Amino acid sequence: MNKLITQLGGTFSLLACLLFSANVTATVDAAPSSGAAATAAAPGEADTAKPKTGSTADHSKFEELDKDFATGPEVTEACLECHTEAAKQVQKTKHWTWEFLNPVTKQKLGKKNLVNNFCTSVRSNESFCNACHVGYGWEDDSFDFTSEVNVDCLVCHDTTGSYKKLPGLAGHPNYETMEWPPKSGKFREATDLKKIAQNVGKTSRDTCGACHFYGGGGDAVKHGDLDSSLAEPGRYLDVHMDADGLNFTCGTCHLSSSHEVSGSRYAPTAADDQGALIRGKNNDRNPTTCVACHGNAPHPGTSVSTAKLNAHTDKVACQTCHIPEFARGEIATKMTWDWSTAGKLDEQGKRIKIEGSEGRDSYDSNKGNFTYERFVIPEYVWFNGDIKYTLFGEKIAEDKVQINEFLGSADDPDSRIWPVKVFRGKQPYDIGNETLAVFHTAGNDDSAFWKNYDWDKALKTGMKTQGLEYSGQMKFVETEMSWPITHMVAPKDDALECAQCHKENGRLQAISGVYMPGRDNTPVIDRLGFTLALFALLGVILHGAVRWFMSKRS
Amino acid sequence: MIKAIAGFFVGIALVAVVALTSMQSLMFNITPSPYGVEETAARIQANIMKPEMKANGWSLSGLRDPSKAVAADGGNVLPVLLVEACSTKYSGPLLKEDTSRIFSILMPCTITVFKKDDGKTYIGTMNAGLMGKLFGVGEIMDKVAADQKVFLNFDPSEPAPPLVRVQPGGGGGGGKAAGGC
Amino acid sequence: MERIYVFKRFERFWHWSQAALIIFLLLTGFEVHGTYTLFGFESAVAYHTTAAWTLVGLWVFAIFWHFTTGEWRQYIPTTEKVAAMFRYYLTGIFTNAPHPFKQTRLTKHNPLQRLAYLFILVLINPLIWITGWFYLFYNSWKDWGVEWLNIEYVAMFHVIGAFMMLIFLIAHVYLGTAGHTPTSHIKAMITGWEETD
Repeated sequence: MNKLITQLGGTFSLLACLLFSANVTATVDAAPSSGAAATAAAPGEADTAKPKTGSTADHSKFEELDKDFATGPEVTEACLECHTEAAKQVQKTKHWTWEFLNPVTKQKLGKKNLVNNFCTSVRSNESFCNACHVGYGWEDDSFDFTSEVNVDCLVCHDTTGSYKKLPGLAGHPNYETMEWPPKSGKFREATDLKKIAQNVGKTSRDTCGACHFYGGGGDAVKHGDLDSSLAEPGRYLDVHMDADGLNFTCGTCHLSSSHEVSGSRYAPTAADDQGALIRGKNNDRNPTTCVACHGNAPHPGTSVSTAKLNAHTDKVACQTCHIPEFARGEIATKMTWDWSTAGKLDEQGKRIKIEGSEGRDSYDSNKGNFTYERFVIPEYVWFNGDIKYTLFGEKIAEDKVQINEFLGSADDPDSRIWPVKVFRGKQPYDIGNETLAVFHTAGNDDSAFWKNYDWDKALKTGMKTQGLEYSGQMKFVETEMSWPITHMVAPKDDALECAQCHKENGRLQAISGVYMPGRDNTPVIDRLGFTLALFALLGVILHGAVRWFMSKRS
Repeated sequence: MIKAIAGFFVGIALVAVVALTSMQSLMFNITPSPYGVEETAARIQANIMKPEMKANGWSLSGLRDPSKAVAADGGNVLPVLLVEACSTKYSGPLLKEDTSRIFSILMPCTITVFKKDDGKTYIGTMNAGLMGKLFGVGEIMDKVAADQKVFLNFDPSEPAPPLVRVQPGGGGGGGKAAGGC
Repeated sequence: MERIYVFKRFERFWHWSQAALIIFLLLTGFEVHGTYTLFGFESAVAYHTTAAWTLVGLWVFAIFWHFTTGEWRQYIPTTEKVAAMFRYYLTGIFTNAPHPFKQTRLTKHNPLQRLAYLFILVLINPLIWITGWFYLFYNSWKDWGVEWLNIEYVAMFHVIGAFMMLIFLIAHVYLGTAGHTPTSHIKAMITGWEETD
């Protein structure tokens, strides 16, 4: 630990740190909103000095917390004096292990193991990526997953908005004043651990969002339906989280018990036909579904139209109609990432960044080409909750790789039509090993790609962490990865209209295996029918004309 | 005789039906774009600002998003970007004559970028060539049409350029033109 | 010239309300089918469903009426004079030849009409009703144990029924002008009184 703290004097790469620079500015801006939102939720009681939390304890009165903490782990130690089981609970969760064993496919998933087509891999880049780990000090394989004081309580329970884990610090906040972003001339004050510890509280949109809004290395980059616009959203952006309305936090739906947060992207509930979840009913179903509150006949009324809408729930996920587009805040989400162009430098050998149409980089020497988009119309797939991943080391023959595949079909009663964000990229592939390649991106060492822009060195180091010898030959392969769209639920008036799918070239044009009136027909029957009807019409017109003509003549 | 007259009117009615149904595709061209709405608009703008188009008098006049006005009224529709550009070289002669000054109603030249339910982005342009022929200013409008083709010619190897958020220009009836005409 | 009272009040009400409903069902049905946009898909579906249920109700009354009055016998097919009817529509009608069929109170439909209406009764209507029923209750197939049904074929046969009804409608409307005078059949359908030769 001490070794790490001494390193904080700023000995990490400038280039690497910029990865999260957008992230940090945005969270700082969003920070004051948590207090404001909480006050707005209880207007009648807004006159109390502190927002009402419902808690029976005021942590600022605890003498355990009334001291000047030097490090995060010291704070954790204090927390554990009362919350004796908290760390043990956290250590059982994905937030801590970054591992998930899919019970169906038996694939070993989780951030620790997966490849994606954004930054591609956590491996060999832990000190940066693990700024979003709920722990302190995970910078390589030697991290002690059993140490209770390594659990970071504050990242989820901070209410001040001033607690920030910075990339490059392996999950620690800065304990000393530090230039941030690096070489920006701006400085971040040392983190006031005492103040933060004395103000702990429930999780909020801000605490969850500090990581989940910034997945993929920046605001809105990864998910498309999760970005900092949800810190204080309006009604159109999210009818449940509407800061002036229902004001849900993430935890309102993602109910937690013993620090285990419900709802999973690795094993999602694609179809829930169990009706609304009744309080106190003892079962182990996922409470984080639309159905868990709204039931299986969510459209009220008895009209033909509402009956028809309720009848759709056996094939169509709620999200398909009720999230008409994602990235509906003002923030664009990343849609493509082409690593193959990374490494171009200007005449002075300096890193290039080009501003694109969305006010975000469309080229960055560190990362290659990007495109961004707002108000993205999702793609739609049959999905039964099972996802098959392409994992590192898996032999791949094709030039086009599905990093994950959403399983399901029209015939499968557990499948629903789901909206997804499909993220497309080009990323390194090891020709000799016939597998997607791990490369060492960030770090202050010679082999980090962001240091020397040398693929060979970056791949050699990266592949080694995966226990593989880099073959020396690489190419870039096209990859696709799908993300379920489930947040940013629009008010009912902004849900899709029937005709947006029930027409030719509508939303569900690509959905196969199901007959959709308005989209589908039997062409031969239509042609024959209309031809015969036209002949009948012409026939009677002709017959009538002859009759009329003959009667005139006589 | 009566039959001939009846046939004549049936013919007129048929032509009217055909004209009405094909009017949209005659007056407007709609082509799909491989990029998102913002990126498509930015690439069109970048093409308009190319030196050879500048030489033809082109400049950006404005960038509008009518969905913003709808949103201000409490409605929610997908963004639509109207890229406005104008060429003094082409507008000058039209604005000179009493007989053609009415064509200022079509200035600035507008290109619209929008999305459809298939998830694709589309670019809509006015059929400038046909308009010109219809109203007897074919020569100028043919040049506009030719330049419009250049505007929609994208180079996928280039990263997306920034979107130019031009305020509607034209100098507001006096002073220096902010851009466009 | 003779006038006979052929269509009773309920019959006339049945005819015109059924005509309106069928035209409306065709109009909304082809919109649901994706042929054009008129009311909007959602409204078209709602109207189509409501009109279909209304027609079911009307049919319940009509069937009751036909059996209590014995009028159902009017639809018993006959082959007598069918050829003569065809000949009349193909040639005689143009040369003012006498109508081969003599309408009376007891036989108000000519042989072609009888065949056509029977065809509707035993083929087109069952086709439309049965497929329409399954179409409407798509979500209950599992409970009914008919999951082997394919919605695509159900829809296809429903559309085939619709086309047959459309063609019938065209011919029926036109032949409505083929009476003693061009308007005599239509008047009869409104007032009940038919002029015959």
